[in-house]
Amino acid sequence: MNTAVTSRGTATLGDKRISFAGVLRSEFIKLTSLRANMGLLLAIMVSGMVVNLALALTMGDAGLPSEPSIPFMLDQVTVGTVLFGQLLAGVLGVIVMAGEYSSGTVHSTLVAVPSRVTVLAAKAVVVFVTVTAVGLVTLVGSWAASYPMYAAFGLGIGLAAPGVALALLSGASYLGFSAVLGLGIGTLLRSVAAGVATVISVILLLPLVLSVLPVSPLIRELHLLTMSKAGDAMVSVADPSAGLMNLADGYLSPTAGWLVAVAWSGVFLVVGAIRLVRKDA
Amino acid sequence: MITAEALMKRYGNKVAVDGISFTVEPGQVTGFLGPNGAGKSTTMRMIVGLDKPNSGRVEVNGRQYRGHRAPLQEVGVLLDARAAHSGRTAYKHLLAIAATHGIGATRVHEVIQMAGLDSVARKRVGGFSLGMRQRLGIATALLGDPATIILDEPVNGLDPEGIRWVRTLMRDLAAEGRTVLLSSHLMSEMAQTADRLIVVGRGKILADDSITNVISRATRSVTRVRTRDTQRLVDTIAGTEVVASVMPDGAVEIQGMTAEEVALAASASGVVLYEVASVSGSLEEAYLALTAGEVEYRSLAAAGTGAHR
Repeated sequence: MNTAVTSRGTATLGDKRISFAGVLRSEFIKLTSLRANMGLLLAIMVSGMVVNLALALTMGDAGLPSEPSIPFMLDQVTVGTVLFGQLLAGVLGVIVMAGEYSSGTVHSTLVAVPSRVTVLAAKAVVVFVTVTAVGLVTLVGSWAASYPMYAAFGLGIGLAAPGVALALLSGASYLGFSAVLGLGIGTLLRSVAAGVATVISVILLLPLVLSVLPVSPLIRELHLLTMSKAGDAMVSVADPSAGLMNLADGYLSPTAGWLVAVAWSGVFLVVGAIRLVRKDA
Repeated sequence: MITAEALMKRYGNKVAVDGISFTVEPGQVTGFLGPNGAGKSTTMRMIVGLDKPNSGRVEVNGRQYRGHRAPLQEVGVLLDARAAHSGRTAYKHLLAIAATHGIGATRVHEVIQMAGLDSVARKRVGGFSLGMRQRLGIATALLGDPATIILDEPVNGLDPEGIRWVRTLMRDLAAEGRTVLLSSHLMSEMAQTADRLIVVGRGKILADDSITNVISRATRSVTRVRTRDTQRLVDTIAGTEVVASVMPDGAVEIQGMTAEEVALAASASGVVLYEVASVSGSLEEAYLALTAGEVEYRSLAAAGTGAHR
């Protein structure tokens, strides 16, 4: 093995300093250099596309609307990506932080960047942007792949149709928020297993539990304000007559969906940040 | 330069570091010694801000670690060989850390070469031996070409060639005027590498001095002689400051006189010596003597015979 002993190489390093752009680059390298992470991103695409194609191929037997319907198309095209994607993105978010604790990498990370808020902010930006981009590719790809099948029934709807492009972008962003929710939980719990269990409970089980409780107006309203209901609202088209939300009627506008998703992911991220800053690494 | 003032750290109601103050000077290798649980790693973690002290402060090159604009250029640290994700390649691990400071791939390749990791840089860390992980940890510590280097047990798991590499590296870094703080349980290694020692036990500093002083203060130096006239020799040199004891093998160990003084006294009274040797203590003896009462985790067999706290 090599036995060079000097720490100074041929090139002088010069004056370096921490920059947020550098921390973002670092986090992006870390995110994309692990097979598990790439596998989860790929799984978002595959599950979204597969469900979309399965629905599109079988829609002839499932009862079609009589004329092109934006809500029908959006529902068919986004349901797989949102349903599977929210969980996969949440798990990815957990791994991005909790995985650093289980592998010990967190020491290297925090020694390089002692400001823990900077580290978490960079992780949040990187995971949100990456997952949203993957979600957007999946949703637009799903729309494109199934367009000819809709067109064959005379139900084709273009991206320029009112609300469609925005709904696809919102659906992609919802996956980004799910990932940030997972990141907050992973930061709070510092354990992959506990984090994954928690993120699945919050996204999947919470609405389920609320829906099996005896129906009271309060429960119904709370049910509507859960993370996954926000996701459903974000991929819908706004009903201009219904306002922001009407909890009694069970209506959540896309804008309200955004607010709820931001609130859920934001609260967990902040709680995670507080623990990260206060507790020893 | 590392300066700690009344540094104190508690975990629950257990005091891990009990108000220690010390200075680690540039231009020399400072060894950090102590039994398991003595607070060495905790102190190192506090230096780089991973743990917050309950009270007291520690500064690196004049300010707290987190206050530096480019921490990696101030301090390079190896705390745990398992600080890299097993699923990531060594190259990507180093590249990600370097990116935070805008340090480029050129420097990453340099430290990979220095650590002798060229052939495995593109392999996942999960397949690395402990020694290779140590090399990666040292490469990580060198990334920012830091003025201060802190290594916790760096030779753990290294092959003899690797141990010599670390030893030479530490000596060279100190010779370049850098501050080097090194912990190890290998006494022979420490004796060869360190100029100065800080010995801790149960969170307190037991000794902070040059390595020769630590040894001479904690161990007794004796002059060992052999003669056929043991009794006459003992009568000759007897005095208030001198203790002579006859060993089972017939040798006489004399405390309080140098070999020269003993030889002169013997010669003056016609005693023939056929062996004269100065016997000084080893670092290991000094260490065991210093920490005898401070060991946190003692093996059962030793507990029966060792000094009790």
